[in-house]
Amino acid sequence: MSGYSKRLARDIERWVGSGLIDRPTGETLLRDAEKNDRRSFSFGFILMMMATLLLCAALLLVIASNWEAIPRLTRVLAVFAFILAGYVGGALVKLRGHDAFAEAAWLVAAAAFGGGIALIGQMYHLSGDEEMAILTWCAGTGLAAVLLRSGPLTIGAAAIAASWLFTEGFDIWGRSLVPISYPLVAAAIWLVSLWTRSAATRHLLVLSLIAYAVMLAADRDVTLFGSLLAAVSLVLLIASVLAGPAAERIVQLDGRLPLHALLGFLAGAAMLQFEHTENAAALVAAALVVFAVIAGTVYLLGRDSRGLRWLAYLGFAFELCFLYMATVGTMLGTAGLLLAVGLVLAVAAFLIIRIERRMKMEPA
Amino acid sequence: MRRYRLLFTALVLAVLQIGFLSWIIAARAALLRDGREVLLKVEPVDPRDLLRGDYVRLGYDISTIPRDLVTFGPPIESERGADVYVRLKRQPDGFWRVASAYVDAPPATPVPEGEIELRGKLAYSVPPDPVRVHYGIERFYLPEGEGKPIERDMRVRSFGVLAAVGADGAARIKALMDGDTKMFEEPLY
Repeated sequence: MSGYSKRLARDIERWVGSGLIDRPTGETLLRDAEKNDRRSFSFGFILMMMATLLLCAALLLVIASNWEAIPRLTRVLAVFAFILAGYVGGALVKLRGHDAFAEAAWLVAAAAFGGGIALIGQMYHLSGDEEMAILTWCAGTGLAAVLLRSGPLTIGAAAIAASWLFTEGFDIWGRSLVPISYPLVAAAIWLVSLWTRSAATRHLLVLSLIAYAVMLAADRDVTLFGSLLAAVSLVLLIASVLAGPAAERIVQLDGRLPLHALLGFLAGAAMLQFEHTENAAALVAAALVVFAVIAGTVYLLGRDSRGLRWLAYLGFAFELCFLYMATVGTMLGTAGLLLAVGLVLAVAAFLIIRIERRMKMEPA
Repeated sequence: MRRYRLLFTALVLAVLQIGFLSWIIAARAALLRDGREVLLKVEPVDPRDLLRGDYVRLGYDISTIPRDLVTFGPPIESERGADVYVRLKRQPDGFWRVASAYVDAPPATPVPEGEIELRGKLAYSVPPDPVRVHYGIERFYLPEGEGKPIERDMRVRSFGVLAAVGADGAARIKALMDGDTKMFEEPLY
């Protein structure tokens, strides 16, 4: 959002120049905007989080290395010390007003808890309980997020849950078992995120749920889960058109529900089409629906979000390419195909330019 | 007052998580200390866990059970992960081997004298012959880099695992045996 202050500064300069507002008012407005801007994005905070993640990774790797130089009991006690110092030290720092350090300390403590679980598995040579171990870690991190009302810990819990989904879902030996209960875990973390006011967590969860639907489809039934994903996404898109503010109040996704819904719809539609390439007529019909949804999304929702427009263009281009790949040889000769692709791309470019210009001419 | 509440919450959280970990450690240690000992023959099977580090994968001769030793419970097509109750008997060579096994439901008869009941999980659904069972003791974690030589030795010599079995049938590795010598004996903590 740092671009916002810059844009605002330009606008205020213009307003002052045209006599709409006087200079002191303009400066007050700009200062206020910058203050609020800094709250939503802080470079220092992000660097701190990156440093913390490196620390956490180092901690977990030392445990994994099973380093003999440190006796086991010492390692256990060190992990306990990290947990205690992390949580309590974080709380102390938080009370002094250093939020970034506090969140960092809490993340290290949560990582130490996960490291402790791994260490016990290592000490007692446990096997076959990896799923339970990672879920316990996720629950412990979620609990910490609730008690400390911490956004970064909520993201941590969601990331651990997502890693569970992916490690279970992609088994190297092909015995993949997509965890059926993932939506329940995601729902629980969603509730936590409402309490900790972490919109980033919800974005992560929605993306992981789309990935979950794709994995389920690949694992079980493409037609069933592909249509389900496309249908649910379409409903959400329609909901954001008809009752945008109400939907936003429920999901609280910074107004990006349409972006996620369009992504889900495109993923579902793409899977369905890949599965049924042999039926050309159905393919064309499906493509028309996809084009209609994309065009409708841009027309009805695209004004407020450049990201949504570009996702729509990307989906549009992808759909075109796919359609021609699938129908080549059945509808047109290759030369005709090349001609058609060229024409279609020109039309697409023309449309995109027209739309972008209209969006610019009608400022929101 | 708010000051103390956040501090107190953080302290409670730390104590909860430390307590939880200690509780697991205590339970594992109790099993090693009080459980009955069985010696199992190891078959060489290779290693690395992202969080826990290097390990040697262990297969046991009791991991594969001939189908005629197995009694199935009410559902004939048992799912992967179903409970398996395996009764072991000590053989003259010192190793414990399968006397009988029950899938899904625990056997109605009490454990005969001289036998130990071990609990495992079915490794595959719709059991093939022989039935494959996991006992949760299929990994032996080692300091980084020490796994490979042991795996090499395991292919040429016969190894064993001394395991402790708790009252509920759960097994934990007590020591890795190279013939009659204990290679790695695990301390309780």
